[in-house]
Amino acid sequence: MSEERTIDKFKQTFLEEAREILVELESALLALNENRGDNELVGRAFRALHTIKGSGAMFGFDELAAFTHNLENAFDEVRNGRLQVSSELINLSLAALDHIKAMLDEAGGCGEADSAVSAEILVKLRQLTGKAEVHPADAVTSPPLAPPAIAVGAARDWQIRFSPGADLMRTGTNPLLLLRELKQLGSLQIKASMAAIPPIGELDPERCYISWDMVLTTSVAREAISDVFIFVADSCELTIELAAGPAIEQTARRTIEATAAAPKAKSPPWGRRASDTPDNATSIRVPAAKLDQFVNLVGELVTVQARLVEVAARREDADVAAVSEEVERLTTALRESSISIRMLPIRATFERFRRLVHDLARDLHKEVELTIEGADTELDKSVIDQLNDPLMHLIRNSMDHGIEPSEARLAAGKRPSATIHLSARHSGASVLISVADDGGGINAEAVRERAVEKGLVAADAQLTEAEIFALILAPGFSTARQITDVSGRGVGMDVVRRSVETLRGSIDIASKPGSGTTVTLRLPLTLAIIDGLLVRVGRAYFVLPLATTLECIELTRQDIEQANGKHVANVRGEIIPYIRLREYFNMPIEQLEREQIMVAETEDGHYGFVVDEVLGDHQTVIKNLGRFYRHVELISGATILGNGSVALILDPQRLVRDAIRAISLATRSLGKHADVRVAARPRAQGVAAPSVAAGTMACP
Amino acid sequence: MPVTLDQSEEVCVLRLEGEVDIACAAEMKQLLLQALGSGKELRLDVERATELDVTALQLLWATDREARGSGRGFTLAGRVPGEISVAILDAGFEKFPVGVAPK
Repeated sequence: MSEERTIDKFKQTFLEEAREILVELESALLALNENRGDNELVGRAFRALHTIKGSGAMFGFDELAAFTHNLENAFDEVRNGRLQVSSELINLSLAALDHIKAMLDEAGGCGEADSAVSAEILVKLRQLTGKAEVHPADAVTSPPLAPPAIAVGAARDWQIRFSPGADLMRTGTNPLLLLRELKQLGSLQIKASMAAIPPIGELDPERCYISWDMVLTTSVAREAISDVFIFVADSCELTIELAAGPAIEQTARRTIEATAAAPKAKSPPWGRRASDTPDNATSIRVPAAKLDQFVNLVGELVTVQARLVEVAARREDADVAAVSEEVERLTTALRESSISIRMLPIRATFERFRRLVHDLARDLHKEVELTIEGADTELDKSVIDQLNDPLMHLIRNSMDHGIEPSEARLAAGKRPSATIHLSARHSGASVLISVADDGGGINAEAVRERAVEKGLVAADAQLTEAEIFALILAPGFSTARQITDVSGRGVGMDVVRRSVETLRGSIDIASKPGSGTTVTLRLPLTLAIIDGLLVRVGRAYFVLPLATTLECIELTRQDIEQANGKHVANVRGEIIPYIRLREYFNMPIEQLEREQIMVAETEDGHYGFVVDEVLGDHQTVIKNLGRFYRHVELISGATILGNGSVALILDPQRLVRDAIRAISLATRSLGKHADVRVAARPRAQGVAAPSVAAGTMACP
Repeated sequence: MPVTLDQSEEVCVLRLEGEVDIACAAEMKQLLLQALGSGKELRLDVERATELDVTALQLLWATDREARGSGRGFTLAGRVPGEISVAILDAGFEKFPVGVAPK
């Protein structure tokens, strides 16, 4: 039984890894489409297909293996110069790739692969490869192919040691099949070592004790060799090294390969797994759910630790205090390391859009190039998981409405080929992700007219450009008909807005007529635990994110009087507007002698938040407020304090935006000459305010 | 049954048939231990085997070592099918685990 389960687990691993290989295949195909003479790319595509086929067959996915085999054959033809890379081949390969994906989904128990699609692709593939054989003249008209990339020149000798781990056989893997596959790559000298076989009485019959030393003479690259072992890499010891003294006639590429192999030669070849790539040798694969569970547990630990600190403070016992401090130090370290484990580069998400851009460009008959910057920027896994949809809508929008047809671009004196630039970079505790195009830009006047028409703004309202662009994100605006060809952004923007809000992020739109639009998403680095400052207002506790908090200053009665009732403070000569949380949340007004202003940095400048008391820093485990409070924008979640009470986590950015919006709406409704006081009592102006009663929530 | 043990007065013959793989490895080990414990001459019959996997090969290899250590023979009864010989050479064995070199 457990054996079956283990095999299932390995099938699962195969499915996961095969999906990763498909991503690699897709990027190779798309790059090949741009650069059709690049044999290295042909090699990459071929290797990916070969691996999927081989491993698929090994794990019993015969249909998948057979289908992939046909595609692999086509690329073999390309490698050997008998078939040219054409749009037809690329598009067919992409369709085949989608079908393989569907087959994997089917094998994984979700979805169904359509066998009619399979048959159609195979027929077309046959026509394509057949045509190449019938008309060899085609090849003459195209640029001659360099020698296949996978065969990088003269054959070299690779020394390979393969020692299956204890569990390899139980997973249904047959090492002899791996050796057979290896043999297909070149000429293989092989020697089995029986040294590890114990006396028969002690021998575990289901374990492989045999290891192999091999010399493979081949012209294929190292990756092709390690690909053979890709699905057993975790359960075996494997070294692949260039044999000493190979023929030296090297291109730069090969020199790099050789040097890459060199450090491995120095590391102990046995006892530790030195696998195909450095990454594989030092990383392990963990299911995402386990990681989530780990971070949740760390979160619980942080909460318990807060209670310990509280108890220790009450006890006034030096021993308990010492332990409590030690635990606090360790918890902080554990928290930081658990968060860092969840951080992933955004590369995979970005790369996925190459396909979208390729397909859309084909469908819309536009020439569009996707450029990517900062793909190594790391973000919390849960943030990355939710980024796909908003980015897709933004790119679709850019391609659909932003980018003009080639003729229009030429007429406007632009390059016929447009560019969409995806970029990511860190900025404080946030990550900025932007989608920029060099299209026609947003027609601000048209957006404005449409907004007036829909009753979103008054006809005579004075709006800045940024305010007009922000209208695009207003709910309801997205369902508007397209305004003009150039400025019809709106489709899906509502989705973007909602997704980004779920992530507690914000959106910034910049556009210049004629030269393009940039949409920037500002997202928090993590959604799990943040450093916060715990403050008290009346009997309610709040947490402000430490990352945005600049300083904490005192606000006395006298200061308030000097400001003539305006909500501004003079901080070393800088005038800082503030929001009194007590008023903002409609809590009973008390005349306190001293209050505290927390000065925070927001996108709209420095703002203050007035609280009764600052209690200190707090490792804040973010808990969602639940569905009922989903519409509450100003609160990004709640956390449980050491004494068991609840503190709400405030979003300074949203608070400030809400206050500004309230004032400007109030100003508009009052007419142009209204007395505008920055950040003054938004609730008093009758603007809809957060319906969460902070006081009651915080003190249940 | 891919693995059987025939015992006469002086000889134990282990007979392997069809695909001999991890599924019958545990049973094969028991039969080999039984044969070794009997103190009789050991013979191996693989004429009707189509495939021997790594688990079978290492069991045969360990039995051969044990039998030779105790001064007894473990030899082939009959021929080794061609495909098995090729597979064993492909697996990096210099010779068949049991005494006789493959053809």
